[in-house]
Order: sequence, then structure tokens, then C-alpha cells
Amino acid sequence: MPLPVIDPVQAKQTIFEYCKKKGALAVGVADLAAIERIAPPGHRPSDLMPRVKSVISVGVGGQTAGVWSLPAKAMAYFGSTETRAYAVAYGAAFFIESKFGVPSIYCPPDMDPDGGPRVPLQSLKLHAELAGIGARSLAGDILLHPEFGYMYFASIFTELELPPDAPMAENPCPAPSCVDMYRKIGQTPCMKFCPVQCLSGEIDDAGKQKVMRYDMAKCAEMSQQYESVPAMLMEAMAAETTAQREDALFDPDNKMLWYKVSAGSGGWFAQCFECMRACPIATQAPASDPIRRTHLLRQVKADKA
Amino acid sequence: MARGLTREQIGITPAMLQTFGEVVFDLSHNHQTRHGDPIRLQDWAEVERQREDMGLSDAQIGAKLGLTRDQVLFIRTVEERRRFRTGHYQRLLELGGGKRFRPEKFTPHLDRFRYGEAALLLRAALAFDPQRARHFVAQGWWGDDTLPGWLARHAKERPDAPALIQGESIITWRALHARSERLAGALSAAGIAKGDVVAVQLPNIAEFVIAFLAICRLGAVLSTLHMPYRKSEVESLLRHNRATAAICLSSAKDWNPAASFLELRASLPDLKTVIALGAHVDGALSLAELIDTGTPPDALEAPAPVAADPFLLLYTSGTTAAPKAALHNYHTMLSNARLSAPEHKVTSADRLLSAAPFSHLFGLYCLHVAFHTGAASVLLPVFTPPDMAATIARDAPTALWTGPAHIAACRALGLFDKFDLSSLKIAIMSGAACPPELVRWFAERLPGCAITQLWGMTETQAALYTRPGDSLEIAAGTAGRVSPGTEARIASPEGEVLTAGTEGELQVRGCPLFPGYFNNEAANQDAFAADGWFRSGDLAVMDAAGNVAITGRIKDVINRGGIKFNPRDIEDLLDAHPQLLQSAIVPMPDPVLGERACAFVTLRPGVTETPTLQALCDYLTGRGVSKQRLPEHLMIVADMPLTPTRKIIKARLQLLLPAPT
Repeated sequence: MPLPVIDPVQAKQTIFEYCKKKGALAVGVADLAAIERIAPPGHRPSDLMPRVKSVISVGVGGQTAGVWSLPAKAMAYFGSTETRAYAVAYGAAFFIESKFGVPSIYCPPDMDPDGGPRVPLQSLKLHAELAGIGARSLAGDILLHPEFGYMYFASIFTELELPPDAPMAENPCPAPSCVDMYRKIGQTPCMKFCPVQCLSGEIDDAGKQKVMRYDMAKCAEMSQQYESVPAMLMEAMAAETTAQREDALFDPDNKMLWYKVSAGSGGWFAQCFECMRACPIATQAPASDPIRRTHLLRQVKADKA
Repeated sequence: MARGLTREQIGITPAMLQTFGEVVFDLSHNHQTRHGDPIRLQDWAEVERQREDMGLSDAQIGAKLGLTRDQVLFIRTVEERRRFRTGHYQRLLELGGGKRFRPEKFTPHLDRFRYGEAALLLRAALAFDPQRARHFVAQGWWGDDTLPGWLARHAKERPDAPALIQGESIITWRALHARSERLAGALSAAGIAKGDVVAVQLPNIAEFVIAFLAICRLGAVLSTLHMPYRKSEVESLLRHNRATAAICLSSAKDWNPAASFLELRASLPDLKTVIALGAHVDGALSLAELIDTGTPPDALEAPAPVAADPFLLLYTSGTTAAPKAALHNYHTMLSNARLSAPEHKVTSADRLLSAAPFSHLFGLYCLHVAFHTGAASVLLPVFTPPDMAATIARDAPTALWTGPAHIAACRALGLFDKFDLSSLKIAIMSGAACPPELVRWFAERLPGCAITQLWGMTETQAALYTRPGDSLEIAAGTAGRVSPGTEARIASPEGEVLTAGTEGELQVRGCPLFPGYFNNEAANQDAFAADGWFRSGDLAVMDAAGNVAITGRIKDVINRGGIKFNPRDIEDLLDAHPQLLQSAIVPMPDPVLGERACAFVTLRPGVTETPTLQALCDYLTGRGVSKQRLPEHLMIVADMPLTPTRKIIKARLQLLLPAPT
């Protein structure tokens, strides 16, 4: 029995509608050839799925206005909404297979077990940027969207060929207020208020990004605390007294780490969010408030009806 | 291991780690630099040109450096581990909710304040029985009282009410709070930190109070030095308490305290700062300037103390080899004042005057009761009988903290007839054995004033006292009943708890009791009974109602050929003798009997005829004293050696005894 003919444009629209219905704020298709060209060997979509034809990127998340005023220690938990992106992508992969009969995968978001820490299997950020749903910011290349602000991303790889979208025509970063601040003090808010001072950069005369510098190692000391566990154990082994050994393993900070390892979540790998808390695009984009943005979902339904 | 392979399998050596660690780290994504926006603009040439700046993968680094991917992975992760510093997450704990990170105001948590070695020793000495501590908390005796907390409360609730009064000079609670905050900031800037001991040798003046409160505000520990102490005594105590700063007068009548403290820095390595009140002294800070120009400490950088923090280190005796220093925290010290103020019927409307120096527990107790209630403290810088009487007449205190010797001296000079002392509603007499006759006389002269007695020690604080409304018999003949939170018992030398009416050692325990002498284990061994009760060393009798009459000191008991007797009642009789001002009976070594009684006496002003031993014995015999308890030697001295609370130091009198024959 011959396979049904799939209209790529129609299929793309159907998939986008599905993703938005499931909570995606933005959906785009990245140019696969561009990804393959930019991503280093071993981290290209074809390394994971040899017959991949399209990479779909979905963006979800954002925060209520109230979340940005939370104490940072609470923000470490509330700030991360990435699992919602994964859920959408996971569902979309099933949806594509069931709807179009084409193999699809939800792209694993985690570290590459073959590549060691700080190396992802795929760059979800690169996918999203090339899919046109985010542009690199001065805040360590965190992607920003002029309407949705700061989002989390997930990707779907599929053998279904879909027409790619273009990257965003304009980069919303830096915002005009950030340019003003940079002109006065030589720093944007994200640079100034980064707790580990891992950000620096320059803005050109036209108010565009000239140089972005990101010390990821410093950032990881704040946001990726897995290194603390072996450090704590080393400290315990080197302790000269029983009390020091007990402190190394059981002092309140270290007990929190054990908790994160065993039962906890969130803060263990949570970003500190301070660069985004200070970012006018992340916090004040027109639809960065999920409550205000629900009209988009309603609009999708209305359009479909 | 990397990818299941050991460093030996990969061929990693320490030399390789050292050679390539930095370059691998820099080429990796740990350091990223992007020029412009090449990916979004799909400027492929620029993407390629910036690949290295934006961070290479391990394989790309390997190709560039001539290493395998596994070697790069190993080197990179080792380098990441080596550079990783823990604890950065702590920075977040103070951010958010409107607060943002500012590098210039941030101190990494490992670089933040830590207690010094001496401060940790002090804190370690605050060890209480856990069951007892739990009991004190459950009863509400131990709470969150601190002096800075009380001061802040009064500054808010009664800002314009007087806190300190000395004639025309009145300092309100608001002003007292502001001055102590400024001084605290200045002390902090001078390097005094939480847990540091600050020695203070000042009379009962406003600057003492301000300094005391400022020291407390920083969480530092006040150690008082009695005004009569001179360089050798001061050195001994400062060596023991490891004070980092001293606050004193620039000059005094017969010595220069500030200069002496400055000299002591050479032999006392912990002593860094000397602060002087009065004329400028080279090398010393000016207390007045610090109070005027200091900036209140930052609440984050110098958090206020909590009730469990050490607070006072007070020396009870011994200025030579083994000083006995009673360590108190706010729990022990302030619970006593809070629970006792209502018993003394002191309220915020009162004015309290202490004739006792603030360097002594009894004087501090007066301050603490005032600080708790919001009452004003009337200041008497240095006790003299005329000054005390004049201060009462001028500043109209309603409550007087005094000693029997103070009242006896005023009586001897006829000051009760010369000054109006009628403002007094209560007098609390303590510090030495109080002759009943003196209490009766005092009560007759001030019928509107409740004359009460109080028994306490630096270790126990105000443990016993009579209450306003007690009968004259109780007020004159006993030291009263236990204070709230205190328990008392009378014990035999063998440790047996004695019944009412039996003389024995007074022992106490309770929420105001100190945890032990600081850095003096030998003294602690002797100070506590096996079950934790404090052995006061005082002989006492408790009646059925719990009133305790102090009958003497165990050490003062005279053993005359096996017959032991307590000379306290004989001293009371001698004190009432018309020719005598004060008396003290001490044991005199005797080759036959072991000990005999020797009476030391001073004469009342104006007495010219010297009493004889026989005349005094006749006087005592006529008042029922048995022959074997009579003094067998008489020594007339010009002055008694007195403690700061005017208690006779019998040990010094014993040095004057004639050699045994």
C-alpha cells in the first residue's frame, strides 16, 4: 500500500498547532544543513539519527511576574521549566509518528555520557537559534525572544522533511535600557549583577552586540554543583580530626548536597537566574507572563475552529 | 577514568596535565567569546573564524594540539576539577526579593568572619547540663533576651525617657541607643569583632554604660576591671582573658591607666587596642571621639548577638596565678534581672542608683534591672558617703543598690540627718554580711523605704533576697528566699542535704547560675557538688519558709582545739559597739590549739580612746558569748582591706597576724 503523500507545509502547520496546544510558546524548524555545518562532529543531528531530515525546536517556559521577585534560593527551584519543553517535544515525536508514519525522536537534552561533564549530546540552543525562536544574548548566549522573553527549549528530530524557518531577523539583546546602562557604566544589567561575574562584553555604536564573553567555568561553580560532591569527599578524606571529617560530610551545606543527590531536585543543577532577573527582555517581554500569554493558546483554538 | 579507561591506558602523565591543562581549558567551551552575531546571520566565514573563540569540542582540541580526544577529555575534566571552588551557591542566599549582587559589597563566604581562637575557647566554656537547659527554656526563664534587644526596645517605646541621669546631665534611651551604636561601629572599625574580650576599667559613668552596650552590640564580651586594680593585677587578668582591647581612663589619681595598658601590649600579644577617656594619650584611641564620630555597624556585617552568646567575663577573686573568672551568657545573666525586677517591684517609672561599682556583679545587676524595665539609672561615679547622700537628694532615685558598709559609713557621718533621702522606695543591701541592727536602724530612718537584703555571687547572681513587704524580722535577719529560677539547699560537708534550721553550706542551682570558671579546671572541681549544685562556700541556715540566714564563710570557721565556731555573730556584736566601725575575726595559727580567734577592728570617726581586748571581751561576754569563742588577740587597724563592694578581705588581714610563738 503506497504511503500517503504528505504536504510538508501542511504537516509543519499541523505539528506547530500540536506543540502550541500542548504549551509551546514558540515552534520553529531549523535548517538541518546549517546545524550540521556548525555543530562539532559527534554532536550533529545525523550523529544521533542518521536519516534525520528536520529538526524542530520548541520553546516553553517563562515566569510569572511574581517569580522574578522571589528570593534567589527559591528561584533556583521555580525558575526551571525545562521539563515542560521536554514533555511537549516527547509528545510531538509520538504525534509525528502516529500522524505521518515517519520515524521521529525526542532529542535527549542531557550530557553526553561519552563526552564528560559540561558537554551536551546536542546543542538545543543552536537548534532553537537556527529555528528562529531565540537569539543569542550577552548573558552567556542564553537565547531571548522579543515576545516570550526567556524560554527553555527542546528538540524533535524527524525523518519527515519540513521547510526550515529562518533565524530571527533582529536580535532583541541588548534592550535599549541595557544600552543606556552600558553607555554609562560599561556594563549591562546581566554583567553587573552576575553573582560570579562570569559575563562581560561590548556594545557597538549602533547599539548591537559587538563582543560577548562568557566564563562558563565560573558559571558552573554557581549553577552546576555536581563538582561539589567529590570536593566534599576529598575534604572529608583529608580531614585531620573527627570533627572536621563530620563537618565535611554533614555540615548543613553539605547535607543539602546529599539531599540534592538523593531526594531533591531543582537547585542541584539549577541556574542562578540572576542574569535573567536583571534582563528586561526576559522579565518584561510582552508575553513573558504566562497568564497574559494564554490568549495565544485561545487564539490558536479559535483560528482552528 | 575517562570513558572507562584509566590514565595509564590513555597515557596521561602529570607532565601532560601540567603542560596542556591551561590551553585545553581555554580552548574548551569553558571560556567563550563571540564577536557579533554570526550564527543568527549565518555568516559562515565568521563562524569558522570564531570557532576557537566560541569553544571547541574535545575532538577539535585534540586535533589542534596533537592529543587524542580521550586525553583532552581527561585533561579538561581534571582542570575543571582543579579550578572548581565550592560554596558559590551560598551567594544566592542573600539575593532576590529586590536585592542584587554587587561585587564591591560581596565577601566570599569562606573569607567571612570566623571566631578567633580565644573567642572559641570562651564559647566552648559555655557548657550547661542539657536537661537543665531544656527545663529553663520550657519554663520561659531562658529566652531571647539580649542587652542590644532591650535597648532597641526602649529606644522605640520610650525614646525620650531618661536612661541615664547624673545631675543636670540626662541621656535618653534614644540617645543612649544612638551613642552605643556609633561606638559599636567605631569599635568594629578598630578591629573588635564578635567573641573578642574587651576589658573595661571605668567608674560608674555614662561612658561605661555606652561602652558596655557597644561591646554587646558587636557580640563581644565585656570583662570588667575593678578601679583599684593597677598594672600588675591588670596584666594578670588580661593574660587570662586574652582581651583584644581595653577601655580605660587616660589618667587617674595615682597612675596612668592608658599608658600602662599601652605598655602591656608588649607582653600581651592579644591586646591590640587601647581606648582612653580623657586627655589625649599617644597610641590610644579617644573614647569620646569614637562615640561622637562612629558610624553604626552594618546589620549584615555585624549581626546582633543572640542570648546563647558569651557576654560577660567577671573576675571573682585571685589576680595572680589562677584567676577565677565567671563566664555568663545572656541567658544566665539577663534571666536573673528579668525575673527579679517584679520581685523588687521595679518598673519603668523608677530611678535606680547603684552604690556598687559596675565592675562588680551587684552593680551590673542594677543596670540590668534598669535595662529590662526601662527604668532610669542614676549614676554615682565613685562611692563616697557624702556623694551618695548628695546624689540621692539631688537626683531622687527610688531604688538603691547598696552595701552594708555604704550605709554604715553614711550613718557614721550623720548623713541621714543632713540629706533628704525620702525618694527611696526600696533599698537592696548586698555584698557583705549585713548586721541585723543596721537593717533595723536603716528601716527606722526611712520608714517609707523597703529595706531588703540580697545574697548573691558573681557565679550565682541574685540568688536570694527579701522582698518588699517582708517583716522586719525576715528583712533584718535573713538574706531572703530564692529568686525565680533559682533553687537553694543547705548541705553538710559530706554532701547530705540538711533540714530546716541546721547550719551547713549554702548550695544553689538554677537558670542564672554560671556554667563554670573560665580556663580554671581546678576551681571548677571545687566549685560544684557531684550533682551539679554550686557550692557557695557560705554557711547558712534555712527556715521552713525558705528564708536563708547567712551565718559565715566556711573558710572563716575557727578551729580552736577541735571546737569549731563561726565568728559571724561575734562580728555583728562588735560592729554594733559604740567605738567600732567595722570588725573581722580571723583564725590565728596557734602551736597548741591549732587556731585562736583574732579580732581586727577599725574605730568610728572621732573615737580617740582605744578599746582594749579585755574591754571588748567583757562587752561580748555581757551579750552571751561563751568564753571559748572570745577573741584572744586584738589588732586595731586604720582601714579594712575591702573588695570593690566593700566586703572585708580577710585573707589580707591574715597577712598582718603576728608570727606564732
